[in-house]
Amino acid sequence: MKLTLADYLVILVYFAFVLAVGFIIKKKIKSSNDFLSSKRNIPLWITSLAFISANLGAQEVLGMVASGAKYGIMTVHFYWVGAIFAMVFLGVFMMPFYYGSRARSVPEYLKLRFDEKTRGLNAISFAVMTVFSSGISLFALAKLLEIILKWDFDVSIWIAAGVVMIYTFLGGLTSAVYNEVLQFFLIVLGLSPLVIVALHDAGGWSNIKAQLEPQFTHAWKYMGSANSNPMGLHFMSLIFGLGFVMSFGYWCTDFLVVQRAMIAKNMNAAQRTPIVAALPKMLMPLIVVLPGVIALALMTPALHSKGFTIPVNENGGLDYTMTLPSLIAHYYPSGLLGVGITALIASFMSGMAGNVTAFNSVFTYDIYQSYFVKNRSDRHYLVVGKMITVAGILFSIATAYIAKSFNNINDFLQLVFSFVNGPLFATFLLGMFWKRTTGHGAFFGLLAGTIAAVLTHGLTVAEGKGGWIMDLYEVRSGMGQAFIVAGVSWIANFFTTILVSLATKPKPDHELTGLVYSLTKKEPLTKGKWYLNPITLGVILLVATIILNIIFF
Amino acid sequence: MYKRLNELSFIIGLFFTIVSIILLIDTFFSKQVSGKLNLYTGIVFLVFGIFMIAIKTGKTGD
Repeated sequence: MKLTLADYLVILVYFAFVLAVGFIIKKKIKSSNDFLSSKRNIPLWITSLAFISANLGAQEVLGMVASGAKYGIMTVHFYWVGAIFAMVFLGVFMMPFYYGSRARSVPEYLKLRFDEKTRGLNAISFAVMTVFSSGISLFALAKLLEIILKWDFDVSIWIAAGVVMIYTFLGGLTSAVYNEVLQFFLIVLGLSPLVIVALHDAGGWSNIKAQLEPQFTHAWKYMGSANSNPMGLHFMSLIFGLGFVMSFGYWCTDFLVVQRAMIAKNMNAAQRTPIVAALPKMLMPLIVVLPGVIALALMTPALHSKGFTIPVNENGGLDYTMTLPSLIAHYYPSGLLGVGITALIASFMSGMAGNVTAFNSVFTYDIYQSYFVKNRSDRHYLVVGKMITVAGILFSIATAYIAKSFNNINDFLQLVFSFVNGPLFATFLLGMFWKRTTGHGAFFGLLAGTIAAVLTHGLTVAEGKGGWIMDLYEVRSGMGQAFIVAGVSWIANFFTTILVSLATKPKPDHELTGLVYSLTKKEPLTKGKWYLNPITLGVILLVATIILNIIFF
Repeated sequence: MYKRLNELSFIIGLFFTIVSIILLIDTFFSKQVSGKLNLYTGIVFLVFGIFMIAIKTGKTGD
């Protein structure tokens, strides 16, 4: 892949704009609140697009195209079973507690609802996860640029990290959020021509269906048995593991995304943020799943003349991660090639900046201010927030180099993330909807869930991974194994939390007002216009999602 | 115009307008048949960019 002047110009213009956003926002940063939580003053359309853009990082864009090529149209379950339902649930049921409690972060909500130790456990695990996640994003970006453009690995790392550091250091969360919106449009508009051209080249959707085996073009039809679909999953495992535990655990409790809704101007906007975001999210498979399915079709004998292949990795298997870069290299001429590469860079930077801004909020509010230096001036916490931003970027760079040195570090870290995130939704579900849940129950439930996740992974094997305690059960795909691990950890957390809560003393009702559903006064959501009502919007989205599932059944 | 730099929609519009100009200029100098893709994409980006610039969203981008 060789870039021309036009390609480099597009990349330079992008870097200039993201840096300019940082300098423009810098003038508005006067307090730690401005820097770390945007003073809850961001308009709905921006919070909504930032909400999905924070998730539109490397794993999403490259990973979903790769999954589209590996598992076919079943990959849409991440959107039409997982994300949409969870986002609507977050907006309708959970945002009133996050936003109404005036907590500045998800760990701070846990402190208000439960106790200090539950907050500490969540804050520390989240801070570690975000900084590692950011580092892995950085590593993946540098590796990609090294492979497809022959750029130097070290230079790529330092330039990308340097740009993210400048704009997040200058403008904090607002700057990251504004750039996430720019990055969202760039990713969507930059990759749309690829989908149109590749789909046309493959003879349209009808020809793709004719060329591929039917289990790759039907989302549900072959899920009655785990042996008859590419993911190796029964539909009940999918609905519980992905649709309930993993998706709700991520979209409803991960501060990285929830933070974008918490900075909305008012309660109604905060509730509508994930719901409005669900609309473009519902259509995102067109950009990130369909290209993978098209790539798979282009590899069939009938379309061999098109000359597209997915590269082969060192083990001789298809390197699905390179599907999207290969499609860009195959179809984009110079100029547009720069747009495609910039879209990839934007996705990595968006993911990295999202992690860094969530990290500095949690570290400053929930670790530094809570455990180390209390009751200092706002100026002090603003300076600390900025220093933490720099430290977060430097940790990310260090993680990127660690990832470079150890082949399996990415897999290992992703696994650790799933151990921590998997059970978390049970804690929030019980905490928000069962007033009897106690701090001890939440804390030991989280520990039990994480231990259960570790044990399940040690007793199951998928694609040669896991089973390090005993090879008790074999799962056909790594993704299926992840769903099972998440499901078991959720159940362990759920029942441990209930049992420990019943044996310990709960907080009095007056301390839980505004934090628990049954003790919170229900305000009429909105009077008048239907599009201001989160429930109406949510129902419309759910109906549309069900229709999409039926169409691609 | 300087004041409008505070509006996110204006910044996004300006970005896509500049990128569209790069794509359209490249189309004129490109000998590739596939340069048509740059032309069509450049036109779409230009329309989107002008639309975003034309939107009046106030200082905070609301």
